[in-house]
Formats: sequence, structure tokens, C-alpha cells
Amino acid sequence: MPDFTDHLKPRYNGAATLQAERNGSAICVDELSQHLLSRDCFLERQEKIVEVLSQEKLFNKSQQLGLSRVDRYHLGLARAKAIQRIARRQGWDHDDCMMAEYLNDEMSPYHLHMTMFVTTIREQASQQQKQHWMPRILNYDIIGCYAQGELSHGSNVRGLETVAKWDPVNNEFEIHSPYLTASKWWNGSLGRTATHAIVVAQLLVPKQQHGKPSDSLEAGYENHGPQTFIVPIREQRTHQPLQGIVVGDIGPKYGYASMDNGYMLFDHFRVPKSALLTRYAEVSDETGALVRRGHPAVVYGSLTFVRGQIIMHARLVLARAVTVAVRYCAVRRQFRYRDSTAASGACTELQVLDYPTGRIRILPLLATTFALHYTGEYMDDLYSRSREAIESGDFGPLAELHSASSGLKSLSTTLVADGIETCRRAMRGHGFGGGSGLVGLNAEYLSKPTVEGDNWMITQQVVAYLIKKMTAVVQSPTASPQDPTDELFQSFLKRRLHRKPQSVFDPHGHLDDQAIVDVFKWRTADLSYRAYQARLVEKNLWTRLMIQLHNLSRAYSEQILVTNFHTALHSTAGSLSSPTPDVLRTCFRLFALYTLSNSSSSFLLTDSVLRSTLTMLDDSILELMTELRPHAVKLVDSWAIPDFLLNSALGRYHGKVYEELFNMAHRKNPLNKVTFNPDWRSEEIVLGSGDQGRHILAKL
Amino acid sequence: MAPTPDWVKQLKPSGSQGSELLVAERAKSDIPVQKLHELLLTKEVIERKQRILAILKSEKVFDKSQNYFSGRMERFERALAREKKLQLLKRKHKWTLDEFRTASELVGEPGPYGLHESMFRITIAGQGTPEQQEKFGKAAEAYKIIGCYAQTELGHGSNVRGLETTATWNSQDKTFTIHSPHLTASKWWIGSLGRTANYACVMAQLIVEGKSYGPHPFIVQIRDMKTHEPLENVHVGDIGPKFGYNTMDNGFLLFNNVKVPHENMLARFSQVDPKTNKYVRHGSPSLIYGTLTWVRSTIVMQAGSVLARGVTIATRYCAIRRQFQDRDAPEWEKGENAVLNYTMVQIRLLPLLAATFALHFTGKGMMNLYQENQKRMNQTNTSRESNKRGAGPEETESGSDILADLHATSCGLKALSSTIAAEGLEVCRRACGGHGYSSFSGIGPWYSDYLPTTTWEGDNYMLTQQVARYLLKSARAVLKNPTPTNDTTRILSHFQSRVNIGCAFDILGSDEDIVAAFAWRASFLTFEALKHRDEQKKPWNDLLVDFYRLSKAHSQYLVIKNFYDVLRSGEIAQSTSPPLRTILLKLFQLFALHTLEQEGSEFYVSGACSKHQIMLARTSAVMNLLKEIRPHAVRLVDSWGFDDWVLDSSLGREDGKVYEDMFYRASELNPLNKVTVDPYPESEVLFKKVEGGYGKSKL
Ligand SMILES: Cc1cc2nc3c(=O)[nH]c(=O)nc-3n(C[C@H](O)[C@H](O)[C@H](O)COP(=O)(O)OP(=O)(O)OC[C@H]3O[C@@H](n4cnc5c(N)ncnc54)[C@H](O)[C@@H]3O)c2cc1C
Ligand SMILES: Cc1cc2nc3c(=O)[nH]c(=O)nc-3n(C[C@H](O)[C@H](O)[C@H](O)COP(=O)(O)OP(=O)(O)OC[C@H]3O[C@@H](n4cnc5c(N)ncnc54)[C@H](O)[C@@H]3O)c2cc1C
Repeated sequence: MPDFTDHLKPRYNGAATLQAERNGSAICVDELSQHLLSRDCFLERQEKIVEVLSQEKLFNKSQQLGLSRVDRYHLGLARAKAIQRIARRQGWDHDDCMMAEYLNDEMSPYHLHMTMFVTTIREQASQQQKQHWMPRILNYDIIGCYAQGELSHGSNVRGLETVAKWDPVNNEFEIHSPYLTASKWWNGSLGRTATHAIVVAQLLVPKQQHGKPSDSLEAGYENHGPQTFIVPIREQRTHQPLQGIVVGDIGPKYGYASMDNGYMLFDHFRVPKSALLTRYAEVSDETGALVRRGHPAVVYGSLTFVRGQIIMHARLVLARAVTVAVRYCAVRRQFRYRDSTAASGACTELQVLDYPTGRIRILPLLATTFALHYTGEYMDDLYSRSREAIESGDFGPLAELHSASSGLKSLSTTLVADGIETCRRAMRGHGFGGGSGLVGLNAEYLSKPTVEGDNWMITQQVVAYLIKKMTAVVQSPTASPQDPTDELFQSFLKRRLHRKPQSVFDPHGHLDDQAIVDVFKWRTADLSYRAYQARLVEKNLWTRLMIQLHNLSRAYSEQILVTNFHTALHSTAGSLSSPTPDVLRTCFRLFALYTLSNSSSSFLLTDSVLRSTLTMLDDSILELMTELRPHAVKLVDSWAIPDFLLNSALGRYHGKVYEELFNMAHRKNPLNKVTFNPDWRSEEIVLGSGDQGRHILAKL
Repeated sequence: MAPTPDWVKQLKPSGSQGSELLVAERAKSDIPVQKLHELLLTKEVIERKQRILAILKSEKVFDKSQNYFSGRMERFERALAREKKLQLLKRKHKWTLDEFRTASELVGEPGPYGLHESMFRITIAGQGTPEQQEKFGKAAEAYKIIGCYAQTELGHGSNVRGLETTATWNSQDKTFTIHSPHLTASKWWIGSLGRTANYACVMAQLIVEGKSYGPHPFIVQIRDMKTHEPLENVHVGDIGPKFGYNTMDNGFLLFNNVKVPHENMLARFSQVDPKTNKYVRHGSPSLIYGTLTWVRSTIVMQAGSVLARGVTIATRYCAIRRQFQDRDAPEWEKGENAVLNYTMVQIRLLPLLAATFALHFTGKGMMNLYQENQKRMNQTNTSRESNKRGAGPEETESGSDILADLHATSCGLKALSSTIAAEGLEVCRRACGGHGYSSFSGIGPWYSDYLPTTTWEGDNYMLTQQVARYLLKSARAVLKNPTPTNDTTRILSHFQSRVNIGCAFDILGSDEDIVAAFAWRASFLTFEALKHRDEQKKPWNDLLVDFYRLSKAHSQYLVIKNFYDVLRSGEIAQSTSPPLRTILLKLFQLFALHTLEQEGSEFYVSGACSKHQIMLARTSAVMNLLKEIRPHAVRLVDSWGFDDWVLDSSLGREDGKVYEDMFYRASELNPLNKVTVDPYPESEVLFKKVEGGYGKSKL
């Protein structure tokens, strides 16, 4: 309906502001985009799929934030199905479908089917099993999920309570949930969607005559620890749970509204022998004992790969939040400049991005997107290079990467989860609104610090590795180094007693990039040495050291980000056209100094830096931000996040912030179609409905 | 969904039951929970809460079981129904204002009458003439009109002077024309405006004979009293779903040359004389000192209990949650370890537990200080002070008296405490691992509704500028005249007298020295900032980050100092036993040393601590405190006394039945489980069976 608001314009023209910003920087956006995102044809693919999805009404995102849980799942399922149908029509491959899910930007009820379910079959099933299952999976004749986590156990897989008892007489396994807490829990796609599940359960095999005594859960059985089974859970036609299974959705969550994370309990549920995935372990027909073969190196390899992907994904998520914040804060104006004199005629208000308190929240995060990028790439490269070796069970160069990946997963998902919140809050009021596009993003992404290894818990993996490394170097300080960590630790031990704290500035007060990298390395080595001392020499209890160790993991991971970023400046990024390499160098410095400043105590206590470095840090950071500021809009443009994905009135490419916000509130908001009765004396809620509030009570 | 089969009903959680575990936790400590509860809230408040809670629980409309499942529309409808019921109950039980507030607080969601009850009525009372109070105030009190407070616009929030809505005086017919010249002039974010209010208090630029006099308040009718439809040339609606606050109809509002009579401009402090058409000012409307200080002390105190809710949930859950065996556990020791025993979990939760008390007692300390000095001031000087105290902090003589000091510094404290609470809640949520992500944890939704507190009444980043400005003034005053007149000048002047000699604080041995070290660091940063501004003549805006740090440092000092003072006060001495005092003191030390160690480099650079001290605080003192406080954790959160109905959390239940409740809510309360889907992509059918039916898709 037309009304007088149709002709109103914003006081300041957002589009012109962004245009001016873009004119103010000489960065070649296309070139930088290619540099960042050409891997696996990402950019072309993104363009192709956005084109298709943005034409389908079903993928219009304007209403989803206000929907109830049931409606969100309904919508989510509709979209998941539609993507598959479109894929068939358009001949999309797996990567195309994953791109569609990424752009659709909500957890698809098919997500686990396309990821963990199929990966597990591929990696852990025998040839024969694969031949049976793979065609059915790829054709979506069955729909799967991955049921490992339980109500009482997530991190600790060895503690799972679901059991699978081998019954040699009937050649079957009996899957059973002895406790309420054995209930599978959180498993995506299980609640309503899946027909099959990968179930991880403790395998119990009847004890051998000559067997050793064991700590089995049940007398007469030996516990072989968690094993993987493929189990049908719902009837093909009616989609009702099979007899002996209780399964459902676990209810609303912080995010993931479109996904049916589920629970599941078994009552002596029987499955055939072929249900156990047997690439690495099988119950022998002759002896009835469990036979293991080979080391499941692929599983670790793919875990490393998955974590690498998490970082690649993390950089894009952060880039998205920063894109919104940078564009909006460039358009948003608030207050005239405080120190400006009337004569200078500053009649327009200052862009919020020009307040240092605005910058300090957003620009270091912009720099972080690049830091994550170069490390993600490094891991990806290393992984693809050593893929064959891994398939054959040789860890080779991957040993370090595998350990590092847990620390990096922890650091990067924490940085990004917190970064989204920082961006959202930097926009204040409008950041709180649905129009920011960060409400949903925050809700979805906050799962990441917990899933695929809780961010606090898994840092223990990397420090255990570092302590082991340090021990080896202490014992034989001159052995030839296997990797950069060995080199670092050896040089640390040599210089430990006579090195002085260092400055990151040269005598003229300019930043010295190599010195920056060095202090990050020194801190890592020093903390590793202290950890080694505390644990192995002073024999402190592990749990007392945990916090210290967590800090070590963080330091180590930060050092990796800084080092890889620094290296990239000279290799791949160095050949970009001017001024991009210089701008990236500024990003590198900003990221490093900002990180240093946030953990300054830790640098200080390890004697990595001089006191004077700390006092010069703030000014240096301000200067770097001033250098970076003119390029901010073009740098976020280079991340090429399509408006369709941003789904943000504040962050749109064209900068028409206020027009969009108003459009969303005024024209697309269902609440405005209802007139309420606001008088408390009347129990009627919707005006004219005559319903004395009854339908509200009926739902309670 | 089929009814839950018997074999499921008979299942129990494995191992020790949650209820037993909490009993064991409570047996480990001898903290007198009820005593501490009374110390925190007072007997009177506890009694009031219980009484009102009983009433609320008996009304079906307050049933929370569907809150977490519903969409925006349903939540809003229900919130409106609840607001109406509260009004009914208020009259039925003749509730006082305090009782009514308690009821709203217990319901725990922002409601559509919220801004009517608060800002709309307060503004009329504070800025209306007696006649206007009679006319609009009375009608508002009786709910004949329902209002809201419309200041913020699409284009302007913090910068109130930049508002774009205009109110132009028409001398011929003695009216004002309210108008929105740009799209960005649209009022935005206004609570209760979207669907509920029929009146608004609109802040608009007053224009008289072509001259602008800045923003002024106008009472404007916006909807028809019968049909509740917007009046002609008024365009109003709800702004859509948000991060939180979804039970509130925050709204937008545009005017197309709407006329209101002369009497609708609130005229207690300024008006347009209808005869001369001249603008006349009778005084300044800025809020009276005391009110603001009082409001801020409340926010500080409230931050303590807001955070306590998250800490209660996380602490109880982590005491029950078991995961892994301790690495150093001896062979024979079976069973998994409660995650609360891992220092990695303790370091996240226990300092926050300490913070709940720190913030609470700081707020309380501020209130005491305020009251005492108010009394003293009234005794010595009844007439002069109170009325004239209109000016903001910038215009006061720095160091003139203790109340001025309290006023100026309290805004930094408000910023610090709401940030600690908001961020702390997220830490609590994450500490719960996967289950923290479930709505049934009760933390996520609570966090999203609390977050705006960091935004309104002055953005936390901007408030810090006010504090810095005040501290710089105080420092300049101290340089001129070192005789202290209040706490700020006292610490600055002490620092100034010792700066060349240096200091030696025994932060690990003496609590008083901890306080002194915080004072030293704040003073150091103040004089550093002063150097930047006055000697090096740096532009104001270049110093915003320094100011932010400075304000934070000073506010941290205030929390430490207030917490410490309260613990040493007579009240605590009388009402607590020595063991309880000891544990409170440990909480103080944990909060203080943990903060100090986090900000270590500032303490070092300022010379307040040596590297070695910071290192010891980190690796030894804090670790020991965690260990000492750990056994008391559950009882300490118990003493906050949250009712399960208020927490609405499976993880935080007082009886520890975490898993039973998770399962119950998922399987029995969850409407999604009434749906059977067709999962195969080639079929367009989505829901093939829905128990009880399902409305059409809402796309
Ligand atoms: C959105 C979402 C989707 C999921 N999808 C799936 C799925 O599809 N399939 C599936 O099987 N599972 C799934 N999960 C479960 C997920 O894998 C677990 O939640 C995750 O592993 C964390 O485990 P937890 O919840 O048991 O946390 P806990 O281990 O119980 O952690 C609780 C707290 O204790 C701490 N802690 C635990 N152990 C230690 C230790 N040894 N030392 C120090 N601190 C410790 C943690 O840091 C944390 O603060 C999902 C979870 C979520 C949130
Ligand atoms: C849930 C909710 C309910 C609300 N209810 C009401 C209501 O009922 N009535 C009403 O009138 N308003 C209401 N508001 C609006 C609220 O008062 C404003 O959001 C608040 O004043 C902040 O203004 P802004 O959002 O325009 O932020 P902006 O002023 O645009 O600030 C954006 C960013 O710029 C920075 N910035 C701005 N100026 C400066 C400066 N000078 N120096 C340094 N940094 C600066 C800020 O720190 C911030 O990061 C509500 C808001 C919310 C979220």
C-alpha cells in the first residue's frame, strides 16, 4: 500500500558514502578476490549458485527470524529438499550442493547425511559394505545421521554408555541403552529426518576361555571400546521409529533452528553382523573374537582436514561480520568532530568508523580475516600434498599439523565467535536488530566453539604434543631437527640463558616484521619450556597446570597465524599489484600488534619483549589503523560476500542502509498486519477477535 | 508421537544421580546459605518474592513451558496477555510499586507495557507542568492512554542533538506541527510503540520563527482510541525480530505534518509563550544528580544478580557433569571426574562467582555512600544544594564533594559491570559444553534479553569518555592543589606525592595493598592521559582508546575498593560468622588477583607490581584460591536463592535432576515431535502427519 513514507529519503546518502570510500582506495578488488578465493573455483561456483537460489521464492530469507521452531524446521526441510531437486535439474556436484547450503546459510536437515554419515561409510566400511551402502546414500534412498554424542557424554567418547553386545548364536548385535543418560543426544538430522544412523557404541564380545580378566561392563563380556555401526532407525514407508527405538528432536537451541538435533534410545535392538563397519575391526567368524587390522590413519587425516576446513570457513564467517560492520559504520554518522573549530565548517557528522573506539573493535578483526586465511591455506596445501602418504598410513609431515590443528581450531573459532559479537555490538542499537544480519549468524556460529572438540578441552592435545617435543629436545639438544618446532626449541635452549627481552621496533622507531615473528616464537618456546618443567621436572598435577597449558596452546596457535601471514607477504601476496601488498603488510602488523597487546602480560612474563615495546604499542596500533582505514571498504569488498548471504540491511553492497531497514520493518514484518487490543481491562488480545485470550491459554 | 514406552520411563541416569551429587556438594561446605541469602537480599525482599511468586505460579498465563518453542508473533501475544494479567493482579492484591516491580522481575521478560510504566510516566512527571501532570499523567496512570518514549531515530541514537524530527510552532493557531523530513527521522527502537501504545512522548527539534532550540518533549496521540488504528498522517509499526527482546514491540514512527495543541509540549522547564511567540526557559531539565547515581547503583547491583543466574546454572551443572578420568588419578580410582574439578572450568566460573558478589556489594556500597552523604548534606545545608544540582558532571567543580565524585565515576562503573555481566553469561553458557547451546540451559535467552543494557542509557564505550573527562579535570585540580576533597582526588594526590619515590605493594600478602595497587594503576593512567592531552596536545578523538582503558582501570579500582570496604564494614561483622567472612574475603581476593593478573602489563608498566608478583599471582595465588573456594561453590550459588521457576533451566535445577528434565522437555513438551516428515528429496510432501494439526506454512 502506498503511503507518505514512500517518498522519504535518508538525510545522508549511504550509497554515495560507500562510493566515495571505494574511490578513496586504489586496491584492485577483483585481483584480491581471486587471490583469496580462487581455490576450487570458489568464486565462480558462488556466483553460479547465488544466481539460481536468489530466484527461488523458497530461499527468500526475509521471514525466517520471526518463525517458531516448528516452522523453521519445516522451512529448513523444504529448502533441503529443494536443493537436491535443483541439483538434479542443474547437474550440480557435491561441492555445488555444499555451496548451496553455505549460501542458504542455515543448517540443513540433510547436513549430516552429506558430511559425517557418508564420510564414515567411506572411511570405515569394508569394500563390500561400501558397495552396498554408497549408491543408496548418494541417491538419497536412505537418509543418515551420525549418532555418537550422548546425554551424559560428548567430549569423552570412551565413556559412552550405549552398548552393542555380540550374540554369536544368532550372529547378531544387540544394541541397548542401559541408562537414561545413554540416550544419544545432539545428533544432527536424527530428530525427525534420518532413516539410518551411524551409531557409536561400546562393543561387548563374550569372553574367550583363555581370555584375560577384563573390566567389562557386564560379567562374561569383554569391552572393546567404542565401535561404529550402521543402524536402520525408521520404517521406510511410514517413517515411524522401528520397534525397540525411541527417537525424537531435542528441542530449541541457541541457533540451529532449522536442524533437528535428536535423541535416541534402544531397547535390546537387534542388528545383523554386517551392521558393524569392518574396515578396521571385525568379529571373527571362527573364534568370535574381535580382530583389528591396520591403523585408522585416514580417520586422523580427515580430522585434520576437517579442522583445516573449519578455519577456512571461520575466515569467511568473520569476513561476513566485518563486512557488515565496516560498511555500516562507514555510512553511520554520529556527532560533529569534537575538536573541530566552527571555522573548518565540518557541518556533517563524523562517520562512526572514524572514532578510534569504533576502529579498534573492527579493524583488527578485518586484519584477522587475512591471518586466518593464510594459515587455512597453508594447512590445506600441506594436507593435499601429503594425502597419499596418509592413505597409506604414513603420517610424515602431518604429525605436527595434526596436533597443531586442535589448537588452531580452538583459537580460530573462538576469535570468530567473539568477533561476530564484537562487530554486532559495535553497531549498537541497529546491531541488536534483525536487520543487522548478525543475529542469525551469531546464533549459528556459537555452536562452533563446542562442536568438533570443545575449545578448552582440545587444547590439551596440542600441549601434550609440545611437552613431548620439548622433552625430546632437552634430552638430545643437537639431534637433527625434524620440523620447525624442533628448530625453535633447539635455538631456544641455546639462547635461553643469555637472550635479552627484545623490541619489535628498530632503532628509528619503525616496526621490524622479523622481530615481531621472533617474539611470538620466543613466547611459545618459553611457555613450552615452562610447561615441560612444571609437568616433568616438578611433577605438578595435570589439572593444576591446565590453565597454564591452555595459554600455551593459544600462544602456539597465535604464533602459527603470525608466521604464516608473514611468510605469505613475501610469497603469494607479494606479487599483487600495488598498493595491495603494502595494505596486507599493514594488516599483518595490525593483527600481530593487536594480538600482542591483548596478551601483553604473557609476552612480558616470558621476557619476550621490552617494557618500552609495550608502551609504544598503543600509538603504533593507532597509526596502523589510520593507514588501513581508507582501504577498509575495499578490503571487505574483496571477500566477495554476496548480498544474498549477508542478508543484512546494514551491510548491503550498495549502502542503502536506512531504506533497507525501513523496508524490512515496514513492509515485511508480519506483526504489523495485526492490530492488538492494548487495554488491560479486556482479555482480548487481537482486536476484534472476540477471543478472550483463550487460544493463548489453550497452548500452555 | 507414540506415548513414551515403559522401558523408557524406567530408565535412570547412570552412576550417581544428579540429586545425590548436589547433596554431596552441599555437604562439603558449611556456608550458612540462608544467612548469606538474607545478607544479599534482606528478609523483607525474600518474603515479598516468595509471596508474589506463589501468585504468579498459580496463573496459567505465566506458564513458561512453551516460551522457548514459540515464534515472534506468539511470544508477543502471550507477553501482552501477561502484562494485562499483571495489571489485574496488581489491583486485586493492591500491590505497592515495589511489589509490582518484583512481579515484573519474576516474570522475567520485557513486556509491551514496559515503557508506558517507566519512561512515559516518568517523563510526564519530571517534565510536565502541574496541569500537564493532571491531564496526561492521570490518564496514563489509569491506563486511559498508553504511552511510550520516542527519542531515538533511525539515523541518530547517541547524538540526541542530531535528531531530525521537527516540531514547528504555528503562531496563527497556536499549535505545533510535528514532522519527519527524512526517512532517517523515523523514530526507531521505541519500546511499546510498535503495536501497543496510543500515545507517544516524542522528542523533536523545536523550531520557533525559523530558529531551532534543540530537542524538546511533546505528547502526541498516534492511534485511534477505539479502533487502535494509526491516526491520519501518522505511520507507525513494529521494527521486526531482534537478537532478544522479542516479547517487546519496539517500533518506528513517522509524521507527515501532524498538528498538536500548545499544551502538548511538556513545559516545566521551557515553553513557547503563546502570546509573544517567544521561547522561554525556566531551568534545566537534566536529570537530578541523585536519581542518576541511584539508577546506576541499581544497574551495578542488578548486574551482580543477572550474572548470578548464569553462574548458578553453570556451577550446578558442572558439579553434576562428569567427563573423563583425571589424568593423574590413581589406577584403582574408578569413575569420571566432575568437570567443575578441572581447573580449566574453575578458572572460567569461579572468578565470575566472585564477580557476582563484587558487583552486588559494590552497588550496595554506592547506595550507602550516597545515602550517608545525602543525609549529611541535608543536615549541614538544607536549602542551598539540592535544587541547584542540575548540571552535568562536566560543569561541576572537580573535587568539590563526595557526591559529585560518585556521580561522575558511577557511569564508568555502570559500563564495567554490565559488560562483566553480559560477557560472563556467555562464558557460563560455553562452560556448559554442548548442553549450554540448548535453550533449556536457560542461559542463552537470558543473555539476549540482558544485552541491550550495555547499549542504552549511554553506550558503554561512550560513557567512558565522561569518566575520563572527569578524571582529567580532577588530575588538573590536584596539580594545582593537592589537598584531597573526595576519593578520586585522594588517590590521585597520593600517587602524585609518591610518584618519584615509587611504591611497594604486597599484593599477595595484604588485602589493603591490593586496593592500593589498583588505585596506583588508575592514577598512573590518569596522569599519562593528562600528559597526552595537555602537554602533547593530542586531539581528543585520538585518545578515545586510552580513555576507555583509563575508565576501565578506574572502575575496576572502584569495584575492588567498594567490595573491600563492605567486607570490612560493621554490617558484615555483625551479620556473618568468621568462617563466612573468610570465604567472602577469599572471593574478594580471587576477583582482585584474577583481574590484576589479566591486566598484568598495566600493573607492571605503572610500577604497581613487579613481574615476579604478577607471575606468582597467576601461577600460585589464583590457583590456590580456586582450590579453596571450589568446595563451597554450590552453596555459594545456592545463597543467591533463585527459584527453579525463575531459572527455567534444566541444567541449573536446584535438585540436580538435569538429565531427567532435559529428556522430559525434549520428549514431552516439544511440539516438533508431533510431526512425522517425509524425508526423501524427490517428494514435495514435508510433514506427512501432524498430531493435533499444523497450520499452513508461514512463508
Ligand atoms: C549444535 C550441536 C550439534 C551437534 N551435533 C552432533 C552430531 O551430529 N553428532 C554427535 O554425535 N554429536 C553432536 N553434538 C555433540 C557434540 O559433539 C558435543 O556437545 C561436544 O563434543 C561437547 O561435548 P559435551 O557436550 O559432552 O561437553 P562436556 O565434555 O560435558 O564439557 C563440559 C565442560 O567441561 C569441560 N571439560 C570436559 N572435559 C574436560 C577435561 N578433560 N579437561 C578440562 N575440561 C574439560 C569443557 O571444556 C566444558 O566446559 C552436537 C553438539 C552441538 C552443540
Ligand atoms: C532493545 C532496545 C530498546 C530500546 N528502547 C528505546 C526506547 O524505548 N526509546 C528510545 O528512545 N530509544 C530506545 N532504544 C535506543 C537506544 O537508546 C539507542 O540504541 C542507543 O541510544 C544507542 O544509539 P545508536 O543505536 O543510534 O548507536 P550510535 O549512536 O549510532 O552508535 C554506533 C557506534 O558509534 C559509536 N559512537 C557514536 N558516537 C561516538 C562518539 N562520539 N565517540 C565515540 N564513539 C561513538 C558507538 O560507540 C557505537 O559503537 C532502544 C534500543 C534497544 C537496543
